[in-house]
Amino acid sequence: MSLAPDSATSIRRRLLIFLLPSLAVLMLAGVYTNYRAAMLFVQAAYDRRLADSALALATHIRITDREIHVDAAPQAQPAAGTEHADLPAPFYYSILGPGGRLLAGNPQLPTTQPGSANPTYADVRLATRELRLATYRLPTAGGTVIINVAEASDWRARPGHFILASTWLMDFIQVDVTLLLVWVAVHFGLKPLTAVRRQIEARSARELRPLEVAAVPSEVRPLVDALNLLFEMLSEAARSQRQFVADTAHQLRTPITGLLGHLELLMREPAAVPLQSRLAALHDELTRLAHSANQLLALARADPSANLTDKFESIELKSLVERVIEQHFDRSVEGGIDMGAEAQATRVNGSPRLLEDLLGNLVDNALNYTPKGGRVTVRSGFQDGRPYLEVEDDGPGIPEAERVRVRQRFYRLPGSPGRGCGLGLAIVEEISQLHRGVLTIEAGANARGTRIRVQFPPAGAPAANQPARHRETATSISS
Amino acid sequence: MRILVVEDNDLVADAIVRGMTMVGFAVDRAATAEAAGAALAAEHFDLAVLDIGLPGADGLSLLRRIRGSGSTLPVMILTARDTLAVKVEALDLGADDFLMKPFEQAELAARCRALIRRSNLSANGQLSLGRMRIDVTGRQLQIDNAPVDLTGREWLVLECLALHAGRVVSKERLQQAIANWDQVLTPNAVEVYVSRVRTKLGDAAVIRTVRGLGYRLDEPRA
Repeated sequence: MSLAPDSATSIRRRLLIFLLPSLAVLMLAGVYTNYRAAMLFVQAAYDRRLADSALALATHIRITDREIHVDAAPQAQPAAGTEHADLPAPFYYSILGPGGRLLAGNPQLPTTQPGSANPTYADVRLATRELRLATYRLPTAGGTVIINVAEASDWRARPGHFILASTWLMDFIQVDVTLLLVWVAVHFGLKPLTAVRRQIEARSARELRPLEVAAVPSEVRPLVDALNLLFEMLSEAARSQRQFVADTAHQLRTPITGLLGHLELLMREPAAVPLQSRLAALHDELTRLAHSANQLLALARADPSANLTDKFESIELKSLVERVIEQHFDRSVEGGIDMGAEAQATRVNGSPRLLEDLLGNLVDNALNYTPKGGRVTVRSGFQDGRPYLEVEDDGPGIPEAERVRVRQRFYRLPGSPGRGCGLGLAIVEEISQLHRGVLTIEAGANARGTRIRVQFPPAGAPAANQPARHRETATSISS
Repeated sequence: MRILVVEDNDLVADAIVRGMTMVGFAVDRAATAEAAGAALAAEHFDLAVLDIGLPGADGLSLLRRIRGSGSTLPVMILTARDTLAVKVEALDLGADDFLMKPFEQAELAARCRALIRRSNLSANGQLSLGRMRIDVTGRQLQIDNAPVDLTGREWLVLECLALHAGRVVSKERLQQAIANWDQVLTPNAVEVYVSRVRTKLGDAAVIRTVRGLGYRLDEPRA
C-alpha cells in the first residue's frame, strides 16, 4: 500500500482512519467491562466457597454446659468438595468464642466488622499475604461464636488472569471480524465508485463519449453528470473546430483553384507572351497563397482542441515514408535532388492524416532548402525501442542558435528561398507533441545540412493518450 | 477522349474545361449531380471529373449512383475538403483517383490520361504511354510503331512499371514479378533488368530510380 500524499484524500483511508481508533477504544472498554463482570461472579463464587468452609467449621463446635469447644481441630484446608488438588490454597481460620477468646486456629487472623449480612467479607493482610476473609457469626446459647476463614487472594488471581486472557482473546477476535466486515463493507460500498474509476481509466483521453450513469450511486451522480457535461462541451468544441477547418478549407481552396487554373491557361495564351514575367509572378504569389492556406489549415488540424476526439490508430511508418516520397517525388525531380528512403518497418500510434502532414512538411522543407544536386533521405526506424521518422538533407543547415526559433510559427530563417510561410516546423512540432514525440534538430552527416527527427514513445506504450503540452519534455535541442 | 466535368463553381469549372480542351480532351460540364446523372445516362464518356462539394446531391452520392448502375466509368474525384474520411469513402465507393484542390492543370490532365489508359487496358489489353504502345495480352512493345524485342524478364519489368506508370513501384514488387519467371535471382537482378529495359526504351520513357524504394516510369516531359 502506498503512502502517497493523495492517500490522505482516499475515502477508504478516511473511513478506516475514523473506524480503527473508535473500534480500538470500544474493544478496550469491552474487555474492561467483561472482565469486571466476570470477576464479580468469580468473587461471589469464591466467597460462597469461603462461607461453606466457615459453615463446615461450625459443625465442629460443641456447646456443653455453657462451655464452647471445638472438637477435633480441623486441618487448614478448603471445605470438602471445593478443593482443587492442583491448586494448593493457603487456607487460614480462627474460631473465637464470646469475648474474642481464641478457641482454635490462627490467632493472628483478624475479624471483619459486623455488617448487615452474615457472613461478612473483607480483604485483609496477614504478614505479607493478601487474604480474602469471611467472618461467620454463629449465635449460640453461650454467646456469638465468630468463625474466620481466609484464603490467599492471589490464588483467586489465577482464574482472573484466565478470564482476562479469554476476554481479550474473544474481544480481539470480535474486533478483527468487525474490521474485516468494515473492510468488506467499505469495499462493497465503494464498488460503484471503483466502477466509475475503471470506466474512466479504461478509455483513452481522446475518448469523450459520456460515462455510463446507470450504475452510478446517487452520491457520485452529480460528479459524473458534471464530467459528462464537460465531455459533451469538449466534443462539441472539437466538432465545431473540425467543421470550421473543413469549411474554411472549402472556402479558401475553391477560389484559389479557379484563379490558379485560369492563370495557368492565360499564361499559355499567345497574347500573354509579353506579360509572361508578370503572370509568372502572379502565379508564384498565388501558389504561395495556396500553400499558406494549406499550411494554416494543417496547423488548425493539428491543434489539440481539434483532435480531442480523433481516434489514433496503429500506423506503419515504412509505408508512410513511401507514400510521402511518392507525393513529393516530382518536386525532387524538378529540383534535381536525389530523394530516397531508408525505411525500416515500424509502427506508431497516431493519426494517419496528421503524421502525413508531419512527414510531408519535413520533406517539403528539405526539398526547399536543398540545392540542385543535393540529397534528401527520409528514414523510418526504431531506436531504443522507440520508433522514429527522420529527414536528412545536405543543404545549408540550420545554425545552432536558430534551432529553437525555427519551430515558432511564421519564423523563417533569414534569406530562406522558396514558397515557405514559416509554418512547416511549427506544424511538425505541434503534431509531434500531439503524438508525444520528441522533435530533434541536428546537423546532418559530416556536420552538413540538417537532420530532423521525431522520436515517438515506445510502441505499445499508451501513446498520445494525452496531448503532451509540456514543451520542456516534448522538445529537446541538441547540437 | 470525352470527359464530363461535374463542378458547381463556375470559375473552377471554366478553368478545367478550357485546360482539358487545350490538351486534347472533349469536355462537357455539369453544375449539379442531377444534370451530370442525366448527361451520363444520355451520352458516352471516357471519364468523369467529379467535385464532391456540389449543391443538392453531393459528388459521393452521384458516384454511388454511377457504381450502383454497374458502370465502370473511370472517376476522378476533386475535393477542397481534406478530411481523410472523405478520401477513404470516395475510394471505397469506387473512385479511381483523388485530387486535392488547388491542383495544377497539368497534374489533372496527366492523372486523367492515366485513368483512361488503365480503363482502355482492361477493355482491350492495350496500353499507350507517350510514344510507346504496349500490347499486354500479346506481349508486344512498339515504340513509334516499331516493335522492340524484350526478353521474358525484361518484359515483366516493363509491364509492371507501365501498368503503374507515374507511380513508384517497389523493388520488392519487381523482384517478385521476375522471380515468378525464374527462381534463381542474384540480389541485384532487378537493377540489372531495369537498366536493360531503360536502354531499350531509350528516350521513349524515363525510368527514375527512387533511392531505397524502387522505380517510377514516366512519359518524357513534353
